Amino acid sequence: MLLSLRWLREFTPYEGTAEELGARLTMLGLELEELRHPCREMEETLIGRVLECVRHPNADHLSLCRVDTGAPEPAQIVCGAPNVAAGQHVVVAPEGSSLPGGLRIKKAKIRGELSQGMICSERELGLSDEHDGILVLEDDILQSGGAVSFKPGMKATEALRLDTEVLDISVTPNRPDCLSVLGLAREIALAFGLPLRLPLLEREGLETDASSLESMRLEVESGEISPFYQLRLITGLSARRGPAWMRWRLRACGQRAIYNLVDVTNYIMLELGQPLHSFDFDKVRGGLVRVALAGEGETLSTLDGQERSLTASDITIRDAHGPIGLAGVMGGAGTAVHGGSRAVLLEGAVFDPSRIRRTARRLSLPSEAAYRFERGVDQGLAAFALERAALLIADLGGGRMERRPLHLELKPLSRPAVSLRRARAESLIGVPLEDDFCLRALTGLGCAVRAPEQRGRGGAFYAMGSAARAPEQAGDAGCDWLVTPPSWRHDLEREADLIEELARVYGVDRVPESLPKVSRPLEKAGHPEPLHKFLTRVKFWAAGAGLNEAINYSFIGHKDLDFLGLPQEGRVSLLNPLNADLDVLRPAVFPGLLNSLRHNLAQSVPGLRLFEVASAFSRDAHSPYGTGVGEDPRLGLLFYGERHRQGWPFKSEDADYSDLKGCAEALAQWLGLPAPEFDLEEPDASPWFAPAVVMRVKGERAGFMGRLKTDLARACHARKAVWLGEFFLDKLRSAANGGRASFTPLPAYPAVRRDITVMAPPDMRAGSMAAAIRDCRPEHMETFFLLDVYQPEGSAERHLTWRLIFRHPAGSLLDAEVDKTRDKVAEFLRRRLAVRI
Amino acid sequence: MGLIAELEGLTAALQQGLDQAVSLPEVEALRVAFMGRKGRLAGLMARLKEVDPEDRPAVGQAANAAKQRLAELLEERIARLKALAEGAEERFFDPSMPGRPPYRGSLHPVTLVMNELCSILEGIGYEVVSGPEAETDFHNFAALNFPKDHPARDMQDTLYLGEDLVMRTHTSPMQVRSMLAHKKPPLAVLAPGKVYRRDFDLTHTPMFHQVEGLLVGQNISLGDLRGTLAYLARELFGPETRLRFRPSFFPFTEPSAEVDLSCMFCGGSGRTDGGTCRVCKGGGWLEILGSGMVDPNVFKAVGFPEDCSGFAFGLGVERIAMLKYGIGDLRMFFENDARFLERF
Repeated sequence: MLLSLRWLREFTPYEGTAEELGARLTMLGLELEELRHPCREMEETLIGRVLECVRHPNADHLSLCRVDTGAPEPAQIVCGAPNVAAGQHVVVAPEGSSLPGGLRIKKAKIRGELSQGMICSERELGLSDEHDGILVLEDDILQSGGAVSFKPGMKATEALRLDTEVLDISVTPNRPDCLSVLGLAREIALAFGLPLRLPLLEREGLETDASSLESMRLEVESGEISPFYQLRLITGLSARRGPAWMRWRLRACGQRAIYNLVDVTNYIMLELGQPLHSFDFDKVRGGLVRVALAGEGETLSTLDGQERSLTASDITIRDAHGPIGLAGVMGGAGTAVHGGSRAVLLEGAVFDPSRIRRTARRLSLPSEAAYRFERGVDQGLAAFALERAALLIADLGGGRMERRPLHLELKPLSRPAVSLRRARAESLIGVPLEDDFCLRALTGLGCAVRAPEQRGRGGAFYAMGSAARAPEQAGDAGCDWLVTPPSWRHDLEREADLIEELARVYGVDRVPESLPKVSRPLEKAGHPEPLHKFLTRVKFWAAGAGLNEAINYSFIGHKDLDFLGLPQEGRVSLLNPLNADLDVLRPAVFPGLLNSLRHNLAQSVPGLRLFEVASAFSRDAHSPYGTGVGEDPRLGLLFYGERHRQGWPFKSEDADYSDLKGCAEALAQWLGLPAPEFDLEEPDASPWFAPAVVMRVKGERAGFMGRLKTDLARACHARKAVWLGEFFLDKLRSAANGGRASFTPLPAYPAVRRDITVMAPPDMRAGSMAAAIRDCRPEHMETFFLLDVYQPEGSAERHLTWRLIFRHPAGSLLDAEVDKTRDKVAEFLRRRLAVRI
Repeated sequence: MGLIAELEGLTAALQQGLDQAVSLPEVEALRVAFMGRKGRLAGLMARLKEVDPEDRPAVGQAANAAKQRLAELLEERIARLKALAEGAEERFFDPSMPGRPPYRGSLHPVTLVMNELCSILEGIGYEVVSGPEAETDFHNFAALNFPKDHPARDMQDTLYLGEDLVMRTHTSPMQVRSMLAHKKPPLAVLAPGKVYRRDFDLTHTPMFHQVEGLLVGQNISLGDLRGTLAYLARELFGPETRLRFRPSFFPFTEPSAEVDLSCMFCGGSGRTDGGTCRVCKGGGWLEILGSGMVDPNVFKAVGFPEDCSGFAFGLGVERIAMLKYGIGDLRMFFENDARFLERF
């Protein structure tokens, strides 16, 4: 909401600065977003009086003027405008001043004649696009009218009473009453203890007893869709440019001036908060105006020339032949006021906020009017606003307003009284509140307040504010006051709403700080670790393992998933995505990590070790959250490029499967899980990887990993292998089941080691050899591991050397015994796997 | 008595020789020359028998002293030479060569700030809870007093998954889930997590993080909310931090307040040495969180008694991380540039 300080002062005599006002409003919950200075660039211009105006001796289209600008000597100014004449009051940019757009006015010779300034047009001053000639200050230049008493040398912004300071105030959805100059003036008057005055209605000479409206019928389908509906007729009008003061003010407050009949409705909406609509009276057919829901599938051609298809929830204004406007949203083209309109039917109404909102949103027609209707307008003020607008239109258009309006108020405003307990307010705010303070605050806001025992006698305990009336019904008897909010405060319906107002007036920033007692339920003690804690621990583990944490968006593009070959089914799509790159929730974490890879490759990163803990989303009718969407927490890993930092003492080598698998194993070990098994995936399980590996824990699939297929990697601009892993944290958590490390006493006797080198064909897996060694159950073997792998040149064979560690729990082993066991294992491998040893 | 003098003279002679010796072999040669079997000491000792028996003990004593002294001198010299040799080795040791660093893993700044917020509030008794990011209309809006077709819903541009299913626009649905799970007051919970809005520009990303706090009990006041947030802010940003409460509007709290912190970069003065403070733009205050007393309609929606009271607050994690670490650009958080991540 844009509030001009000068406009505000027409309602309340606030004398402070705009900055102080903004700060105060901010602390009242009406946050100042920005202080604008719409006329800043014409600050240096002055009022001038053209003393003499003659033809330029050397140019046909230029005039030579002597202009009094308040200086001891008149200035000589060359002017090219055709409408300049002696005796005029004009706006002058004197020598040395500047104008909008950074134009600096310098002394100059124009066709041989000295020019000491410039007489300005509206466009040159930044006041409008008007550039047909210079701005001549006529009698109606000010709202107050009357004789112009400008003195040469006055600052133009002051003399013209321009809106030089405009506060952009953010108004929260609960305060539609502050979407007007009047509404903000109310708040300011209360805050600073100032009087509030409403504009006076000047009817003299602007009314007529003629009654063309009498022949017109008004129907409203129900009080639900329009509790209040009023029409006024203004006749004998001529459309013309609005007066300067109104045009300039609308422009300063962010509205475009069009012409008088339209400008007035905008002006009154900004001033009083009541949106108005004008119909061309001569185009309304059949002597009927009807407010009713549209028929499903009906069409209306709206002001903007669009053909709109209507639904049964749209409120329409109709004449005898059908819809002529979408109530509160946009008028119809057929009845639109235009330059030739002679009679205007002006509508002031209240409509059902949620229907207006639905219509405006469905048709994507946001407007200042709909914005106010959907938040709620002041039914108590609608008739006043309509009459003020009608009189203003009559005044500016040279017409007359018919004295009697057409009026239907099917649902008169009734505000139930709200009971208020002072003790509750004190307990909720945390400060003692004096009776006197509460009463002053509430009545200052326009509420009527009375004590409950006075119920039935109808006597207001204390009343202030124009629309407040005595409560008609009472709340419970345990309360201290019965409070009837004013017509403009739709948000005051419950005790909590009133307590909020008391807190606001008291100042939420003045309440002393205290610390509450926090109690935790005893039943919770010893319960399993909550998910968030587990995930946090996994993150710490991963960072400790030397990985960098990434966070990617939870959404990605369908096209990315299709490209990677992720299944279509089960995906969770967004209905209104921001763009096609973000139109589906990640069904797995790794596609997001690929985005991180892409970004880093663009920065020429030599190597990358990332992890991310995030949810994978899928359609799941049995989701524990009851949302139909499964959210599976995952740990994603990505290894790419250089394993180490570049340079000595590290060797330059790329990360590979061993890095990924090593992490997976370390994670399982850290969680206290048995050693996971790793196997090649079923052919179609992860078609984006080659090789694709599945990790199983206790026989259950607990993760998948592998190398991104080369063509997919290339699409990420990756020239080296991209190793990705994704692990199912819920599975791992439940498999671990809070598992913790257990301690066995350290061995007392020394270990003996023996190596076995297996010469195996290329298709034989290390895992098969390990399984054979285990199956052989060598006596006293404590552990074994792969010591080395050797690929003899020119041979497809692999030589794998295994180291077996033997230890007797209760004594030293003899070499001969161990040699025998080793030979037994070698023989077993030879027979089982048909390999050479 | 010349023999004693000669014996004493050996020491000086060796000292002279040693002063010239710069290597161990040279010292060894001197040792042989003086103390070897055919060395000068041995030579003098051989003359012992020529000495008057009466004088022998004195000469013997002198000989022993000379021997000991010679040995000492040699040892001293050897030790010195060895030390020099080692010193030479050290001279060529290059301590400026690069080290072999372990991998330096890192947590995302968002995680760091969430962890910090959680540990502060857990420390004063709050319990961490988590819930779904795809949320029902009921939990995200209706139960939080956002009626359908109400302009309050415009405050949060929503990403929809279905008619009644949204990406949660705030962590506040965890208020609803927690109260439903607890069934009755009191409770004090804390819900960190991802939230989503349909908004993407320089200062908005469609996903960001919040931490939500909720305390419900008896006679909980706005003063308690102020105290709790003051505690939190001072733990986060230091004991000098001041808070400013401004009335605001959230459908699920009443009264509602936006909370500003005194700018930690200029101490709230709005000025730094370089002129106007860049962080608070001269205002001295930074908008940091929204809060308020739980609206009775929320208690009604979860079946809590009418006479309970409580407060709720929500913090933007990225905003705090930006202030804490001096990160200027919101988008950095989700690009995952390794150079960015490795800073934390």
